[in-house]
Amino acid sequence: MSIWFLRGLRRGVVTTRYPAVTDRWAAQLPSPPLFVPAHLTAELVERLVAICPSKALAREGAYLVLDVGACTACGRCLKAAGPAARPSGVFELAATSRERLLKRIPVKGGPP
Amino acid sequence: MNAVGPSSDVGDTPEEAVAARLKQAAAMFGRSLHIRTVDTGSCAVCESEIRLLLAPHYDLHRLGFFFTPAPRHADLLMVTGPAVRAMDVALQKTYAAMPEPKVVIAVGACPLGGVYAEDALVHGSLDKVLPVDVWAPGCPPSPLALLHGLLVAVGRLAEKVGLLNFWEEDVAR
Repeated sequence: MSIWFLRGLRRGVVTTRYPAVTDRWAAQLPSPPLFVPAHLTAELVERLVAICPSKALAREGAYLVLDVGACTACGRCLKAAGPAARPSGVFELAATSRERLLKRIPVKGGPP
Repeated sequence: MNAVGPSSDVGDTPEEAVAARLKQAAAMFGRSLHIRTVDTGSCAVCESEIRLLLAPHYDLHRLGFFFTPAPRHADLLMVTGPAVRAMDVALQKTYAAMPEPKVVIAVGACPLGGVYAEDALVHGSLDKVLPVDVWAPGCPPSPLALLHGLLVAVGRLAEKVGLLNFWEEDVAR
């Protein structure tokens, strides 16, 4: 029997199927933005759509559509949006359908 | 337009078909599976992150995942890059050589259509060439994100992104 196995038993270290607790720094990795609709004016949305280099942002009526799959987490919208956006810190983004990665975010003052 | 259609599809809608294939794959891959990677013109950062899956910190082997250089031994195909047209034949031959059931993961923003638009050189999105089962966003996806994608692909973890809406009410801070 391997000595490593005995040491593991003694120290209580087990192999996990998936991290029980994610790394503390995981939230600091570049991640797609999380928007705050209360600050998301129509004018700001236009600016954000214009500066997104990967065309992950699009205006669709009263909604800002964020394509999480296309987002490269470059951070340009975070810089431009001020209080209207912050990093989401989400990294578990795998999806079995492309449509599930399209997120509709209501714009402030837009028609309902 | 799927150049190479899966032969064992069941279900009416494409989503049902994917779910059925993943279920079938999960039953087969309960213990271990082999991964083949194909780079279709990526900047190699995704490859660097995929390679990091083997580092002691992530230790992919403990979960029963192994990389293989031969598509005939592979159960799962990880594709990076914007699907350049020059790689069409290679991709289709790789996919055809893999035994059923097989799962395709699109890795990174490029194969998801985020970086390059469709033009004379690239397809821009992987689903124009192969049927994609799992989409793993990120530029690049971190090793932990890839691990999550792999476990979603074999049905050991539930996907989470469908429940998130990426906006929140203003909170006084």
